[in-house]
Amino acid sequence: MRVRFWGVRGSLPVPGRKTERYGGNTSCVEVRSQAGTRVIIDAGTGIRRLGQELMREEFEGGRGTAHLLISHTHWDHIQGLPFFAPLHQAGNHLYVYARRRDDLHLRAVFASQTGDPYFPTSIEEAKADISFRELADSAEFEIGDVTVACARLNHPYVATAYRLSVDGASVAYVSDTAPFSDILFENQFIPRPPLGRMPLGESDRSKLREMRDGVIRLCEGADLVIYDTMFTPEDYEKFPHYGHSRPRDALDVCRVAGARRLVLFHHAPERSDSEVDAILDATRAEAQRSRLSFGLDAAFEGLDLELGPGAPQGERLGRLGGGERGAGSGP
Amino acid sequence: MEVTFWGVRGSIPAPGPGTVRYGGNTACVSIRTAAGALLVLDCGTGARNLGLALLGDDGAAGVGGGFGAGTGEAAILLSHTHWDHIQGFPFFGPLYVEGNRFQIYGPAESSALLEGILEGQMAPQYFPVQTLKNMGARIDIAALSAGTTREILGCRVTAAMNPHGRSGAMAFRIEELGGSERRSVVYASDAGYPPEGPPAEVLALYAGADLLIHDSTFTPDDRARYPHRGLASVSEAVQAAVRARAGKLALFHYDQDYTDAEVDALVERARHELARSGATTELRPAVEGETISV
Repeated sequence: MRVRFWGVRGSLPVPGRKTERYGGNTSCVEVRSQAGTRVIIDAGTGIRRLGQELMREEFEGGRGTAHLLISHTHWDHIQGLPFFAPLHQAGNHLYVYARRRDDLHLRAVFASQTGDPYFPTSIEEAKADISFRELADSAEFEIGDVTVACARLNHPYVATAYRLSVDGASVAYVSDTAPFSDILFENQFIPRPPLGRMPLGESDRSKLREMRDGVIRLCEGADLVIYDTMFTPEDYEKFPHYGHSRPRDALDVCRVAGARRLVLFHHAPERSDSEVDAILDATRAEAQRSRLSFGLDAAFEGLDLELGPGAPQGERLGRLGGGERGAGSGP
Repeated sequence: MEVTFWGVRGSIPAPGPGTVRYGGNTACVSIRTAAGALLVLDCGTGARNLGLALLGDDGAAGVGGGFGAGTGEAAILLSHTHWDHIQGFPFFGPLYVEGNRFQIYGPAESSALLEGILEGQMAPQYFPVQTLKNMGARIDIAALSAGTTREILGCRVTAAMNPHGRSGAMAFRIEELGGSERRSVVYASDAGYPPEGPPAEVLALYAGADLLIHDSTFTPDDRARYPHRGLASVSEAVQAAVRARAGKLALFHYDQDYTDAEVDALVERARHELARSGATTELRPAVEGETISV
């Protein structure tokens, strides 16, 4: 199993010198099995470059199939889709998966994104074949040789975490989510932090416990966990109602789940490269203090990981990739 | 007037080492008038950095205007509502400070429709804030019709429609009122001209502008390759500026796939074509973070 990062940022793309090393594109991760099954998780702006790369392969001749798992449909997770080149080649197939909602059909979310007056060409007019598949919170299904499991996350309007297993390896993608402690996010808008951090009612606490258990099950023994760590502890103090986690929350889940590697993901738009470096250093120190032995890195565009029994062992995370920086280089 | 570029890219933000010189953010330009009023042209992702500057977060001096304290006032002119012209709106910080006041203008059949379009972007499936009403600032939204002139924050703003996509893109001429010399800035992003060039009413809007900010998405070859995208080549931008006798021409809205070196080549081509035309128009390619005084 190969996992490649095309967009690692949250909220909105942030071009510029300050984000050159980790990258400014919004969320997009590619997972490919040895047999060639292609799964893409989220369609932030990073998917544009992935699409260009796929067009050098069988997608150019209209013989490609890809599966797109959407964590949720906030902009930073779908805004690149209209620029995914394989959509504009007849013969290609794209299967789009996301959580089923009572209020809105998945197809309508994308039709409205790409319709007048927001975008010149509707996804309904795309030349490729596009199918939408709506998922239950705890769905489990197969995509070719890849097994997919889902878990519900704690995020405004609700997001889904995915675990993909194939080739004797597994990766869990946990983005976006708040910790499972202070606020239960469902569909309502939460304008400000709860006053004086009022204790939660029993029903909310039990829902959060259940959600946390679900995420831990999803990450259990995973070779790699990709986790929303957008917030520093200071950010979280100020914005607990925004629905994002801190590195310590990811460490906690990975520890309990016995995961082997953690990649910090969904970096805040304001975070410069050196600030991401500092967060990574601090998180590694915290992991060491807690005697956690798993590999730890911060996602960057071009990070390319080989997982499973055949993969190179014992190397530090994240130095296998090619990407624009050239093979073997890190951010 | 001080004109600052916060986003100069078309279609979709293009982060990466290849775009750091000209910038990868989508369309957003600010105009600070001599009298101190603020007008914002389009709200692509560049609007986020404009917002940070206005709130004082990046320590930039001289832009102020009370937006951090909730006493700021600005007008936002939207050329049209394709994503690359509004996607920075939800991330424009001053909109979240109670007390700030914004007038938003753009092309639509009615003000209610324009509001609906902006609300559509904020809807809960797309953005956690869910509605403009949760943002905090006072937001007044008004549709503009092509051919109309309106006084906005001490400026005379005239609008004309360029061909682009299904419903066109609005070009604006902004002239500061008062003072002895009336300076003018024209903003013409997303201009998909027919072969004969800009429509007459659009050329009239451009005429004699001190600064013409003009769509220069493509090389002529790419323009010919993607005729349906309704975007101008750098040569069309030069021809429009020459015909309008513009004082300065700012190239703008570069294609998302062009690297800095490719934009350099666009600029070189424009320089060459301008020199050949014999026009006195000064060339100023738009660069994220740079300011042009008019």
